Amino acid sequence: MADQHAVAATHEGGGHATVRTYVNVAIVLAIITAVEVATLYVPGIPNFLLVSSLLVMSAIKFFLVVGFFMHLRYDHPILRALFVGPLIIAIAIIIAVMALFSAFLLLPRPH
Amino acid sequence: MATQAAFMPGSKVATETFWGTVWSWLTTVDHKRIGILYGTSAFIFFLVGGIEALIMRVQLARPDNTLVSAERFNELFTMHGTTMIFLAVMPLSAAFFNYMIPLMIGARDVAFPRLNALSYWIFLSGALFLNSSWLFGLAPDGGWFGYANLTTSQFSPRHTIDFWMLGLQILGVSSMLAGFNFLVTIINMRAPGMTLMRMPVFVWMSFVTQFLLVLAFPAITVALILLMFDRFFGTLFYAPAAGADPLLWQHLFWIFGHPEVYILILPAMGIVSEVLPTFARKPLFGAPVVIYSGITIGFFGFGVWSHHMFSVGMGPVADSAFSIATMLIAVPTGVKILNWIGTLWGGSIRFRTPLYFALGFIAMFTMGGLSGVMHASPPVDLQQTDSYFVVAHFHYVLFGGSIFGLFGGIYYWWPKINGKLLDERLGLWHFWLMMIGFNVTFFPQHYLGLIGMPRRIYTYAPDLGWNFWNMISTIGAFLIAVSLLFFIANVWRTMRSGKIAGNDPWDARTLEWAIPSPPPVYNFARVPHVHDRDDFWLEKHGDGHGGAPRPKPTPVTAAEIASIHMPSPSFWPLLLALAMAVMISGLMISMYQVIVGGLLTLYLMYKFAMELHRPAEGHGH
Amino acid sequence: MADHAAAVHAVHDPNIGNTGLDNRKMGMWAFLGSDCMFFGSLIGTYLAYKGKSLSGPGPHDVFDIPLTSYSAALLLASSLTMVLALANLQQNRVKSAARWLLVTALLGLHFVLNQVYEFTTFVLHHDLKLSTNLFGSSFFVLTGFHGAHVTGGVIWLLILVGLAWRRQLDARDYTKVEIAGLYWHFVDIVWIAIFTVIYLIP
Repeated sequence: MADQHAVAATHEGGGHATVRTYVNVAIVLAIITAVEVATLYVPGIPNFLLVSSLLVMSAIKFFLVVGFFMHLRYDHPILRALFVGPLIIAIAIIIAVMALFSAFLLLPRPH
Repeated sequence: MATQAAFMPGSKVATETFWGTVWSWLTTVDHKRIGILYGTSAFIFFLVGGIEALIMRVQLARPDNTLVSAERFNELFTMHGTTMIFLAVMPLSAAFFNYMIPLMIGARDVAFPRLNALSYWIFLSGALFLNSSWLFGLAPDGGWFGYANLTTSQFSPRHTIDFWMLGLQILGVSSMLAGFNFLVTIINMRAPGMTLMRMPVFVWMSFVTQFLLVLAFPAITVALILLMFDRFFGTLFYAPAAGADPLLWQHLFWIFGHPEVYILILPAMGIVSEVLPTFARKPLFGAPVVIYSGITIGFFGFGVWSHHMFSVGMGPVADSAFSIATMLIAVPTGVKILNWIGTLWGGSIRFRTPLYFALGFIAMFTMGGLSGVMHASPPVDLQQTDSYFVVAHFHYVLFGGSIFGLFGGIYYWWPKINGKLLDERLGLWHFWLMMIGFNVTFFPQHYLGLIGMPRRIYTYAPDLGWNFWNMISTIGAFLIAVSLLFFIANVWRTMRSGKIAGNDPWDARTLEWAIPSPPPVYNFARVPHVHDRDDFWLEKHGDGHGGAPRPKPTPVTAAEIASIHMPSPSFWPLLLALAMAVMISGLMISMYQVIVGGLLTLYLMYKFAMELHRPAEGHGH
Repeated sequence: MADHAAAVHAVHDPNIGNTGLDNRKMGMWAFLGSDCMFFGSLIGTYLAYKGKSLSGPGPHDVFDIPLTSYSAALLLASSLTMVLALANLQQNRVKSAARWLLVTALLGLHFVLNQVYEFTTFVLHHDLKLSTNLFGSSFFVLTGFHGAHVTGGVIWLLILVGLAWRRQLDARDYTKVEIAGLYWHFVDIVWIAIFTVIYLIP
């Protein structure tokens, strides 16, 4: 009885991702990381381009891990709301704090 | 499962002896008992904070008074603020969360009963740790918002700030654990049929509060960690000499501090939203709008923090943005006040003590709100900041608001919790004395502030024109103290010879009134099915449009009750809280104590987690 | 209908609530949301103080990008091994699940050791300490708290491995391992943010 239930519970949490998906996601993550580091060594790349491409790439990595490895993509909307809501507030507060301390990443900073 | 003792009706767990009773309270995981523990502790700390306030008022009654020194006065206002916020109003709200939320959503306990006990014991250890500073003559003296760099070791070399910083850190852990617990409880433990919009408004306001708790406390946790590193490990976060920005603390503190304001007021708003419909015998006017307003307040609460900092010179853009956001947040608050008044309009009102307190809440909170909107304008704020005008404002919202609302809740739910009704006559004495005393104390402070009296001064010269109103204010403070004596007398009398309440003394509307007072350990013999926000009312009276009262359910059988399983008591929460206190207080004493306490904490966390892992096989059901 | 099924469910497992979701998993997501604010405040502090140190050394005098990239790869790999452990546990292949959990813990441990090495280098070769300048303070506290999170995760994973070895862990404990996994992936995504925002962005 308890076992039957346990098996049922595992299916509920398992989602639709397969091992193959996981491996593919990991490969993509590795490639993006390599590209990120490589971007750093592109000669003469403008600062705003470097910063914005790095931010976009890390955001993609972030959401790949959250979406697939933490299977939030497949999970209940309540769980998504519990995480994404606070995440948005946290990011908004970081941006507000940076504005208040005039610490914008995209602007070249005086030395 | 072995960890879940079957509840047998009428069975007594070893609570016959005195020590058996003590043990059962120390190991309890019952949300109702934990609620009582929270409420009792909070009331005691409320009295402690009140005594601190009285000493300050006596000192300020006359000019050039010498009752306390300037240093002692610093300690008094710091501890008064910290105590009232973290040890009185928050845990008093937590008492209602604990006792009432599971009852109002038709659950048998919270989602994590042992975690709930852990939250309480951590709270108590933090509260005792903070107050133990008095015994060492090292009471915190940096103000309740402890602005760095005043609090760095350069300017506060003694352990005073350590007590405050570490005490707050401990209390923060407790609040956040409780926050996770109630979030999950409210989302996941509602009785079948209780959709989010059918949830009682008190539960809704508590729900918003839990979000604020778990999202606001990390900011102060970080601010305190940085302070701790500055004080103990020589980092430079708050050292302007090394290029640090003195505003960093202020921003981090108020990112927490403003949501904290709503953490203090939303539960009281929820209580009032329950009391008014009950005594007006009418559904809450525009209940969904009240709920949406609460959500809006909670959300905007994260975007207004810098209005506490207009005087530091953030520049016109930041000032304007935070000013506009602050004025916006007044809108949902005003909507709520309108809805409360709308609830009373045309109702068949019965004046009972809880309703008096709820009405007092609306009137006083509105006044506090009005002076609050004034501060939203930076030029006006520059005149008022750090003056007694601000002191008057936040006491109108925190005392006139939160405390009146919470006392309303105490009178309202006392019969449910203790099975006996508090005395109406003493209750009204309490209300009117507190109402008059409160206004006599704090209304003159508006005027004192406008004629220039700064907050946090320990005395003043006789020729400034402040003498008369300060004396009046002190007299008012003693009236409040007398009103509390009436409350204590009321409780004492009710315990000895109160009127038996029965299940539903107020002819109320929500689920908790459908079960006996005090409720049995398992709350609901049969988990209710909910069809409406005022489900219990409709069950009793029909919908008022010709719909008949719902048929009474069949009686609960003994077999049903015997099949209820409740979680077993556990002593790991208490031990774990103690180990954490040993670890954190070690920062002031010796690193060895931190390491020993830390290892002990880890070990006890392991035991705590393993207690419910694989209880004896084969005993399943 | 779904409500009814969930209610029947609840009678059997006290951890499953009326939404059909597991309390513990929901609690973990709520905690992770809150931890976003924690790391958000720390990262905000680091960024607010970026470039405001009055003395050296600065970030680009000390950072060893190849080493940190290697560490980032370790954590990413550990996220993969974590989901592989879960996939195995789901099919009740407890032994291979335990093996993957152990690999995950070891990768995490390797990450922590890299960080210890990194910190030691900063102190010994670059004379960058907590109390050197604002960069030292904000860098060590931010990455140190991340490292503490990883260390906690390693201990958690090792406990799970130990339970599996003692035959006290199987498919019935899927949710317990799953929430450990959620925590572990969260530590990974925090590093994704730190790696970009602190190490890579000039």
